[in-house]
Amino acid sequence: MGEKVFMQGNMAMAESAIRAGCKLFFGYPITPSSEVAEYFARVMFERPEEGVTFIQAETEVAAFNMIAGAVCMGHRGMTATSGPGMSLGQEAMSFMSCADLPAVILDVMRPGPGDGDIMAGQSDYYQLTRGGGHGDYRNIILAPYTVQEGCELMQLAFELAEKYHNPVVVASDGNLAKLRESVELPGRIEPPSPHDQYNVLEGYDPAERDKHVFLTGMNGVAEVIEINERLNKKFKAIAENEVRFESYNIEDADIVLVAYGSLARVCISAMKLAREEGIKVGMIRPITLWPFPEKAFEGLDGKKFLCCELSAGQMIDDVKLSVENKHDVYLFSRWGSILPSPREVLADIRKLNEVK
Amino acid sequence: MKKELLFSGIGGQGIMNLGEILCSAAIKAGYNVTFSPVYGAEKRGGRTMCNIVISSEIECQIVSEADVMLIMDDNSLKDYQHLAGEQGVLILNAQVEAKPDCPCKNIKVVPFIEKAMELGNAKVANIIALGFILKYLDFIPYSIVEELVKETFAKKEKLIPLNLLALKTGYEFEA
Amino acid sequence: MKAVYERPKVFTDAITTYCGGCGHGIVNKLIAELIDEMGLQKNGVIAWPIGCSCLADKFYNMDQIMCLHGRAPATATGMKRAEPDKFVLVYQGDGDMVSEGMAEIMHAAIRGEKFSVVFINNAIYGMTGGQIAPTTLMGQKATTAPAGRSAINSGYPINMAETLASLKGVCYSERVTVTSPAAVAKTKRAMKKAFELQMQGKGMTFVEILSPCPTNWSMSPVKCLKWIDDVMVEQYPLGVFKDVEEEA
Repeated sequence: MGEKVFMQGNMAMAESAIRAGCKLFFGYPITPSSEVAEYFARVMFERPEEGVTFIQAETEVAAFNMIAGAVCMGHRGMTATSGPGMSLGQEAMSFMSCADLPAVILDVMRPGPGDGDIMAGQSDYYQLTRGGGHGDYRNIILAPYTVQEGCELMQLAFELAEKYHNPVVVASDGNLAKLRESVELPGRIEPPSPHDQYNVLEGYDPAERDKHVFLTGMNGVAEVIEINERLNKKFKAIAENEVRFESYNIEDADIVLVAYGSLARVCISAMKLAREEGIKVGMIRPITLWPFPEKAFEGLDGKKFLCCELSAGQMIDDVKLSVENKHDVYLFSRWGSILPSPREVLADIRKLNEVK
Repeated sequence: MKKELLFSGIGGQGIMNLGEILCSAAIKAGYNVTFSPVYGAEKRGGRTMCNIVISSEIECQIVSEADVMLIMDDNSLKDYQHLAGEQGVLILNAQVEAKPDCPCKNIKVVPFIEKAMELGNAKVANIIALGFILKYLDFIPYSIVEELVKETFAKKEKLIPLNLLALKTGYEFEA
Repeated sequence: MKAVYERPKVFTDAITTYCGGCGHGIVNKLIAELIDEMGLQKNGVIAWPIGCSCLADKFYNMDQIMCLHGRAPATATGMKRAEPDKFVLVYQGDGDMVSEGMAEIMHAAIRGEKFSVVFINNAIYGMTGGQIAPTTLMGQKATTAPAGRSAINSGYPINMAETLASLKGVCYSERVTVTSPAAVAKTKRAMKKAFELQMQGKGMTFVEILSPCPTNWSMSPVKCLKWIDDVMVEQYPLGVFKDVEEEA
């Protein structure tokens, strides 16, 4: 680990990406993600020794396709965007997942739909976890709840993207993005040389290997089956190996909160308030939104679940699937923009405690 | 341990500066610290407010029941007094005219600006406020804050004695 | 005996999927010859579009990427920025470039991205079956303009070679065709110059090729060539519109 600093979420995560060897950033300004682009732009001029290339793209559509170009040449590259920009990137997300391209995207979520608001939200949950674009595909979604974890997941994102040849999204939000927090910046990671990356385009020498082609077109039923089965294996391996979550006070809990990202911190404080009142509350915090930590719910028979989210009830679908409809799942939903207070969550916990 | 702090005033009163010094001190003292600044849309003279949460474990990063609230102007009082915790302290700049109407009954009125002018520079009002706030945050050693005030003014060295005096003035002020 | 003609080495054994009389095949072969002659196989990468040439990766022994519809100039931007010393060729048709990907090509040109763009202009959508393109001539029939292109519905054709030539980031822009052996030879010279200037890092190089589409024009291949020479060049005049070397 590196030095301890007091840094804004967006900037600390940008610095962590640079320390993970991400030298190429393509992005389009959108609040609340813009500091990430500005940070890369500043590093390009103020720390030339880092060798950072920053381009402000004409659209998010272009930015996402620029990353596809950078990573197919074996380099680490990323963009950062927010809700509407993420929507524009979905065509490329589908493309990159199908083409085995290890892109990293930082999505700073805000409330939507439409133009939406520019503050904290979690309304991209469906879009992120269900693929989002056309076709059968998935992306690894990492959701940090502190600036510290954001920095660590930012670096992990590059490693997972390259391990599985698939895009990885770090799902931050408008609160975490602007929050300044004491953080120990992660150390430097030496990325693999471009030559050693999977399927890299570098010019073809027939004496050395087969040609490398990134291809997503499917010509006829045989190719449709072949390509989809290959992708499905990749998604299965991710689902088996990359589930991440944290559980708090689960064993004796009567009520289990389920929350991720910024809101998870509100829920941790709410859980403590409830315990002070003698209500036995625990919590599950998904860190990977996909693959969703279904196994965190194993062996929790007889407990009540309160799914907390800054969206109308998106993650609750996954919670219900995880408990296989055997248990009652309740929803604490806010539209976002501002975070609710721990006492607001506590009020729902108290009500739920009365439910027999 | 968890302390929620909310400081609000008008741009130019040094609210963010105060908040940043306090955050650095709490980090040095070994705590987890979050800082959420809020700026008004105006470039000059707009609202400046910050939420600070100091805790030993990871906690909610927003302020909903402030343990210490510093209010420098009437508009800030109107907007944020409902967030002052029942068990907390509400510190009012003496220039605030309105009467507080909130769950918090422990209210301290301090003439920050007058005290700063007595020291010869109205700009040190924020450091006097910092000193006064420290009375309620006994887990942050005074000496750490002294060092940080010196660091903050390292580039304007002749202002250091004045600011250290302001810090002491606030810390020793009885309200 | 002396061989006077050989199949380009960079070509695979695959047979192209283009229709008889289509211009893509000619241009694909010229590109293959240039890759051989200039030794670009080991240091070059091709970014293909979506359209009739989206199966072209099968024809070349090259490292290649098949881009999203219209996005090849953005993808190539990432490629060239990551590896500035590699040769990067972007190949696009008119539907891909001028309709779906107008923003991407314009902004890549505005930034002066240092790759070469080969643009096949056949004034129609080929793969999807003869719909109107931004390059379709006034009055020209298309499946989505059965009475011919009208200004009220579709506005007017756009001349890409001239448009890009007006941008500082573009260092070479020429329009050529493939309607005669002489024209084909000229097209090869234009692309060679474009590739050379790219490797010198001067800026974007752009070659627009007026190309026949017998299937969707519903004309015989020979008639297509005549139509290009007689009609299409009226809207799209041949020539060099920008050459920084000439200017210098």
